[in-house]
Amino acid sequence: MPKPFPNIRVMRDIKAREGFAGAEIARRAYLYVARNQALPAQVRYQAQLQLNTFDRYTRPTSVVNRCTETGRGRGVISEFGLCRYQFRLKARAGELPGVKKASW
Amino acid sequence: MSGVSPLRLLQLKKLQCAVFQTAFNPKSIRTGAKYLRARLRGPSMLNYYPELITIPMVQKEFPSFNVKDLQEEQRLEDVEDRKSRGKGTPRKARNKDESRRTKRRR
Repeated sequence: MPKPFPNIRVMRDIKAREGFAGAEIARRAYLYVARNQALPAQVRYQAQLQLNTFDRYTRPTSVVNRCTETGRGRGVISEFGLCRYQFRLKARAGELPGVKKASW
Repeated sequence: MSGVSPLRLLQLKKLQCAVFQTAFNPKSIRTGAKYLRARLRGPSMLNYYPELITIPMVQKEFPSFNVKDLQEEQRLEDVEDRKSRGKGTPRKARNKDESRRTKRRR
């Protein structure tokens, strides 16, 4: 089976990942200022306001680990990065080392 | 209880911090240091999806390889077939009167 073209949700997730990686250092700096109780309240408030102005695709919470094969967002087994069905298919085909069907 | 005064204990703590190179923070004020100390998560987040190598990418990068995109060829063939049966995509509207959108509104 050919690899499917990444769907729009995967593309959006990649966008979020790139945005987050790009803004991470600036975000950390503002977080440091905003959470530092030793600094004056006004400065901290300004830093918090700056944090709120960041694009939504720069937040770490907008990143979701989707299935690397199909882009499915639910039922993803994080250890393999695959959704449950793709995990089953690949495991049965012997493509996942160390995974075999349990029987007792 | 010991007879050591709180001031002396505080001085001891300060000295301890100086010796062991830890931050002296008797009031436990939040300094936000944990945001600077934590490792950056962006680089590892970028590596989640495996890199996708498609046939058009290979064709563009290495034109001398002569890689055939069978799926694309089949698709173009199907499109021609559909056109020959009169089932192709409709022609683009040249002006506003031809567009279906304006017709629907009436």
